[in-house]
Amino acid sequence: MVKISRYILVFTAIVGLSVVLPQFYRMALEKPGRNPLIQYSCIDHDFIIFRPDADDKWTNREGTKLTREAYEKKLPFMYTRQLVMDRTMPDSINGEKINIQHAGIFRSNFRITPDEIHAPKPKLYPLFESQSGRANLEMPNDFFRITWRMEFIDAQTNRILEDKSRMFSAVLYNRGFQFPATSINGIPTTRKSYDEGYLVIDSANQLFHIKMVKGEPFVRQVELPTGMKFKTIQCVDFSDKLYYAYLFTENNELYVLTPYDYMLEKFEVDDINPDAYEIRIYGDYFNFNVITIGNGFIRTQVVDRDHNKVDEYAETRPTYDMRPEGKIGQFLFPAELKMTDDNSSYVNFFLKMSKLYWWLILSLVLIIAQYFIIRQRKKNIRTEIIDLMLIGLTGIFGFIAVNIFPNKFID
Amino acid sequence: MWKSIIYKEWLKIRWFAIIYAALGILVVGNIFLKVQHDFEFSQEAYYWYSILFNQYRFYEYSLFKFVPLIGALAIALAQYFPETVNKRIKLTFHLPINENKALMVMMLFGAFCLFAIAAVQLLLFTGLSLVYFPAEIVQSALISIAPWFLCGFVVYFLTALIVLEPVWKYRFLYLLVTATFVPLYLQTAAARAYSPALPLLSVFTVLLSVALWFSGYRFRKGEM
Amino acid sequence: MNAIECKNLTHYYGKKLVFENLSFNVKEGSILGLLGKNGTGKTTTINILNGFLQPQSGECLIYGENSQNLSPQNKARIGFLIEGHIQYTFMNIHQIEKFYSKFYPKWDNEPYWHLMSKLQVSPKQKISNMSCGQRSQVALGLILAQDPDLLILDDFSMGLDPGYRRLFIDYLREYAKEKKKTIFTTSHIIQDMERLIDDLLIMDFNRVLAQRSVKSFMQEFKQFHLELENPDIDISNEEFVVNSEKVNNKLELYTYESEEKVLNFLKNNGVVHKNFRQVEMGLEDAFIGLTGKY
Repeated sequence: MVKISRYILVFTAIVGLSVVLPQFYRMALEKPGRNPLIQYSCIDHDFIIFRPDADDKWTNREGTKLTREAYEKKLPFMYTRQLVMDRTMPDSINGEKINIQHAGIFRSNFRITPDEIHAPKPKLYPLFESQSGRANLEMPNDFFRITWRMEFIDAQTNRILEDKSRMFSAVLYNRGFQFPATSINGIPTTRKSYDEGYLVIDSANQLFHIKMVKGEPFVRQVELPTGMKFKTIQCVDFSDKLYYAYLFTENNELYVLTPYDYMLEKFEVDDINPDAYEIRIYGDYFNFNVITIGNGFIRTQVVDRDHNKVDEYAETRPTYDMRPEGKIGQFLFPAELKMTDDNSSYVNFFLKMSKLYWWLILSLVLIIAQYFIIRQRKKNIRTEIIDLMLIGLTGIFGFIAVNIFPNKFID
Repeated sequence: MWKSIIYKEWLKIRWFAIIYAALGILVVGNIFLKVQHDFEFSQEAYYWYSILFNQYRFYEYSLFKFVPLIGALAIALAQYFPETVNKRIKLTFHLPINENKALMVMMLFGAFCLFAIAAVQLLLFTGLSLVYFPAEIVQSALISIAPWFLCGFVVYFLTALIVLEPVWKYRFLYLLVTATFVPLYLQTAAARAYSPALPLLSVFTVLLSVALWFSGYRFRKGEM
Repeated sequence: MNAIECKNLTHYYGKKLVFENLSFNVKEGSILGLLGKNGTGKTTTINILNGFLQPQSGECLIYGENSQNLSPQNKARIGFLIEGHIQYTFMNIHQIEKFYSKFYPKWDNEPYWHLMSKLQVSPKQKISNMSCGQRSQVALGLILAQDPDLLILDDFSMGLDPGYRRLFIDYLREYAKEKKKTIFTTSHIIQDMERLIDDLLIMDFNRVLAQRSVKSFMQEFKQFHLELENPDIDISNEEFVVNSEKVNNKLELYTYESEEKVLNFLKNNGVVHKNFRQVEMGLEDAFIGLTGKY
């Protein structure tokens, strides 16, 4: 029994140490690495790059140095205000006359990171009135859930609003909605210009658009190609009002949902994996820059306004594991345990095993060291086999742990 | 016989247990006093909204996070420190009962007191939450405070281990292990974010319940 | 029958040897005193006996069971007084009686309340607020109520007034003899032991100096006093001399040999002396004679 309690304590120490030691090591030695900003210039029809850490901050794809002014001139839709101030904003680009106000409408920014996807989602949402006749949106007094039916709960009384719930549930049911909902996507804030309700996926993977118009339910099913499933649906509120949402599919494709008869349109880009990469989509008058940023790489794919691919550019850089401090870390530690992860908002046990096996060398050295400690304590080596095996498997963590909780009397 | 052990443990911890229970109830009361106040002064819908979408954690009010930890620490010290004064634990080991079973009963009783006090706090918390909030918000709050209560048990078990350890050097080393392990339960996290970690954290908590066997054994073997 | 059998005990603290191959027995019904200067391993021996210390080698059997793993039934037969009369001082005398009574099938609270009635304590007074003497009576009372077959008493006289000490010893001896109890005890006040013990075990650093009945020890161990003509003569290394103290020409000689043999030795070796006489000793004198003053 005492033996069991000892191994539990050794195990506890191994868990604690495999969190703390690599963390200290990283804090002491890790160096920052900032990603470059890669953008497609509609002037050059090529990529230009801004590197915040480099001596030559502004360059083109080949690495030719640019001045800040030259750089900004190549991105007229990004630095419009600066160019107007400098009086260098071109009147026309690519043969098209540019009206600054009009072009501005087409500018859009979108960003999603993996930790936003891997995050606890609210289970209650406010349903705004889409046509209230007021200039500003108003927060409703009730919130809805879609479980076995669609229920509205009044915040003031903490009770279900039966009539409203029945009305919405009936309409959903009549439109073929399979309860419960598996994901509810919208922009639940009053700080937007207009409301388009929610895009809801039901338990049969059907997509529905649900909103409230003059107090009445508006429910519309969106036709999806068979078998299409989504990693995430991100509703957008862009001033051009051309899209309801960006939709990221299970097979890493990117679609937009348009208000025109709920047409789905595919972006000609690939490997758009919001589970693992940060994704940024910058739209302007001519193009969309679809940027994916993962561990050790950044890639920009450019599509035009018809969503056809124009060009792409990618860069890699050494990851932590490839840099010297990371390699020494992998020599010292067989694994690294974290309670939080860059790609998740959840708290969990994130175990990252060392990819190299150099730590086995250290384990061997520590086994030999432990052998001498056992000899010095005049203990029978046979009673310590499990300790030695633990050191072999868990390296420095196990070595420290078995010596903090010594196997002194237990045979 | 076991009742007698429990009687002795109760004599040691009763005031601490009562104070901790009272403190726990006060803290929960305080949380809902604030909730009630905020409901009066702002629109209920906005209050719900800030919980659902702005990461407002109404239950973090008044250091609720550390209440189980402090309560467990107090009870563990009250229970085990008197046993180390003049090595009085020898008296318990000399009783005509199995030594490990005696330690087990001591540990189970202490843990039971913590559990009972936690149950009162949680029932009160859940009951009052359900008055103001829908099930989703209550469930999310309970998941968020669960690791704090588990942390209380871990602190109790590890404090028992440290206090009963006869050698100062090792007490210090155990304290270091505690300092690496306990923060796993106290990460700053969004509401409900702890849900995937809770099963393993619970397993660790249960496993650590036998920690005091180890230092108890070292004591019996005359480690100085 | 032996209540206690210790065989070949060897123990070190770190590299310091406490004792090597120590063996001794305690017969049932006898009272054995373990004597020795501080640091000679009295408490170590007690701790091994009670299972609070594992010796590097050797073992102690109590009623045939290894003291490291005593069964609950066996532990119920042993009454244990910890050095300093340690008890649960957060209890009062009623609580502590209630606590212990549930553990021992033979529990008899009469001797306990008999002792308590002589103490000037209020019923709700915690033991922590009592004097050393009162606490010793509580500890003793509990052991008597337990009605054990074997009593292990570690330095029972510590911190006691002479009166309490006398009370304790007289009560204990009468109790043990009447009920045929076995007692294993240590005390650093040797005078106390003389009234109490039947057998003694005298320890010195790393070894046992004597292990026999008090009666035979007191008969056979003798002190002789003489004055030497030549103060430079040194007989301390002779085999029959257990210990000797010399101040100028005055010699104190401790031996197990008879007066006749000592005188013969002096005569045969031409040691000129005068004023030869045997000195009467108490147990304390004998103890100091055996172990030396330092």
